[in-house]
Amino acid sequence: MIDRFKEGFQEEARELLGELEAALLELDQKRDAPEIVGRAFRALHTIKGSGAMFGFDDVAAFAHNFEAVFDRLRKGELAATTDLINLSLAAGDQIKTMLDAASGRGPADPARAAQILAGLEGLAGSPIAPSSSPGAHAGASAAPGAVVAWRIHFRPGPDVILNGTNPLLLFRELRELGPLEVQLDASHVPPLGEIDPERCYLAWSLLLRTAAGRVAIRDVFIFIEDECEIRVEPASGELPAAAVLPASLAPAQLPKAARDSGGMAAAGAAGVASSIRVSAEKLDQLVNLVGELVTVQARLSAVSARRDDPDIQSISEEIDRLTSELRENSMSIRMLPLRNTFERFRRLVHDLGMELHKQVDLVIEGASTELDKTVIDQLNDPLVHLIRNSMDHGIETPEARRAAGKPATATIRLCAQHSGAQVLIRVSDDGRGLDAAAVRARAVEQGLIDPSAQLSESALFSLILAPGFSTAKKVTDVSGRGVGMDVVRRSVETLRGSIEISSQPGAGFSVTLRLPLTLAIIDGLLVRVGEAYFVLPLAHSLECVELTRQDIHDSHGNHLANVRGETIPYIRLSEHFVIERPPPEHEQIMVVDTEEGHYGLVVDEVLGNHQTVIKNLGRLFRDVPMVSGATILGNGTVALILDPHRVVHNVVQLISERRRSDKPRRQARPAGPPVNHDQFKQRKNSIDVTER
Amino acid sequence: MGKVILTVDDSASMRQMVKFTLSDAGYTVIEASDGQDALQKLTRPVNLVITDLNMPRLDGIGLIRSLRANPAHKGVPIIMLTTESQESRKLEGKAAGATGWIVKPFTMQQILAVVKRMVG
Repeated sequence: MIDRFKEGFQEEARELLGELEAALLELDQKRDAPEIVGRAFRALHTIKGSGAMFGFDDVAAFAHNFEAVFDRLRKGELAATTDLINLSLAAGDQIKTMLDAASGRGPADPARAAQILAGLEGLAGSPIAPSSSPGAHAGASAAPGAVVAWRIHFRPGPDVILNGTNPLLLFRELRELGPLEVQLDASHVPPLGEIDPERCYLAWSLLLRTAAGRVAIRDVFIFIEDECEIRVEPASGELPAAAVLPASLAPAQLPKAARDSGGMAAAGAAGVASSIRVSAEKLDQLVNLVGELVTVQARLSAVSARRDDPDIQSISEEIDRLTSELRENSMSIRMLPLRNTFERFRRLVHDLGMELHKQVDLVIEGASTELDKTVIDQLNDPLVHLIRNSMDHGIETPEARRAAGKPATATIRLCAQHSGAQVLIRVSDDGRGLDAAAVRARAVEQGLIDPSAQLSESALFSLILAPGFSTAKKVTDVSGRGVGMDVVRRSVETLRGSIEISSQPGAGFSVTLRLPLTLAIIDGLLVRVGEAYFVLPLAHSLECVELTRQDIHDSHGNHLANVRGETIPYIRLSEHFVIERPPPEHEQIMVVDTEEGHYGLVVDEVLGNHQTVIKNLGRLFRDVPMVSGATILGNGTVALILDPHRVVHNVVQLISERRRSDKPRRQARPAGPPVNHDQFKQRKNSIDVTER
Repeated sequence: MGKVILTVDDSASMRQMVKFTLSDAGYTVIEASDGQDALQKLTRPVNLVITDLNMPRLDGIGLIRSLRANPAHKGVPIIMLTTESQESRKLEGKAAGATGWIVKPFTMQQILAVVKRMVG
């Protein structure tokens, strides 16, 4: 029967060689065309894959090395030169000769094959990846030994069923190895209301008696071991005999493999003793626990401050120090440089440039900037979207660029930089920029703004973040299918970030994403207004001064204070949040740094530093932009974490709206209708303290 | 009614081999020549999809993504066929939602063992 397949392969391989040849010739006409290189690569790849399947090992090995060159061509590491194309044509002929030889028509010349490969290697400038002996993961089994009892702890990842794995079938497969006892652990199943029926909350403890060994057991779980918690241990408690470990392991790895019952290190950690791989889930757990610890620590220092007991105080201080070290440590574990995320866009830019016939250079800056892994993971989609937008709508065709007196090759800059506890990621291009008039016309057309509305340029540009907004005149393949910038806005908001857009017509367009370094903990200043407590992020807080009667008097009713010669507008939080209380004896101004400049937030009292574990607010308060979360104080009170930028932005907007209305009200109405603080106080219990 | 398996590969000989092996074991096999073709042929739910990664029009990764995004097929087990040089593609496929993979070249016994693990 296999002969029939062999014939089929011969036929197909010849067709593919024809395709390869056609692609090579086309490439000769049109260098640097990735779709043609891709075609050639695919043809080779199939010859290699199928060749090995049907026993044409020499063909497969030759095609493998040949393919490696094309892979580098595809990645842009090599250029398609005349020499390379000619040699590739010869290599194609060589494969044909090998196929002929296999069907008994004339001998193949191994020396010629070696010569061609050496030539390719010379052009590639470095040795081509050697053909490793191919092996299938599935079905690999270890040599049988004596029957041993194994305890298997198995907790699948929550998405296991969504990804098509049925745990039951895995158990059935285990049962084929030997008698199996299954115990269910349903302790992680949440209350009915919170159950997502598509997720898996169950875990199992299995007892298997088999002679098959650890490798065979783990092999059953091989497809899901990265997402699952799996421990395979001898049930009797003794370490397994070395015989059940894969024979290929070097002796030096043995102790490590024996220690690591997870077995993952055994697979590929050779020589990298200085680092270990930990699942992201475990890190999340660690950070959560540290978060809880920080909260408890805050309670401890509150208690110790109340008691005049030096012993407790010194312990509390010690724990304070350790906790903050632990916190910083566990945070830094999750930090990853943006390099990988950024570098991946080179390909995107290159491909899109080809597709859209535009010449674009991608310049990457600040790729070593580190960011929390959870933030990075969610950053990819918005960035893809922004780059596509730039390529499609922003950047002109080379002809149009020349006509506008710009270089034909456009530049997209992708840069990242730290700014306090935030990271700024900017995608900018030197394309045609945003046409404010077109944005405005479209916004009016869509009913987003009133035709008579007066908007600042930045307010106008931020309209393109609205759902369904697109100024593109036609729908293209790349972007502009109605999936607009609102997708970007939504993902960035999920990350507690913000977006700024700036543009100069004809000169370029730039989008800046402002993202928090981490999502779990911030350093803050605890302040009090009446009976309400707020936390201001320390990173935004500049200084704290007293608001004197003199200041109030000097500014003639304007909310302005003189702080060391600088005139600072201030906002009374009590007015803004409508907190009613007897007028306090003293008030203090927290000077905060926002994108609108320096502003003062007036509070009754600044209580001091507060390391804050951010708890998400419940769903009800998701749309309150000024509050970025909540935290629990040592005495159990809830304090809201304010986003100073949003607070100031909100007030500035309210004021400019009021100015614009025809009848300026002399009596300043309480500025804060959107948030009524009492609402928070009454609903305190509904704050969702279980962070997801 | 037996279990239905869709095999997606631009190489006809690979499809033939997979079909032969699986039909012999009592499965019903549908063939598709690339991702686009597969999506067109998926008019009803199947029990398993076996897909190559490098294909014209819509490649394996794209196919996996479309399937996972489609409520009618999102929980279907998907096996991707990779080669040993495609470690990064394998990770990409896993991230897209592939259930498992088989490294080429493979034997008929190997593909049967994996199929059995996925669909019973």
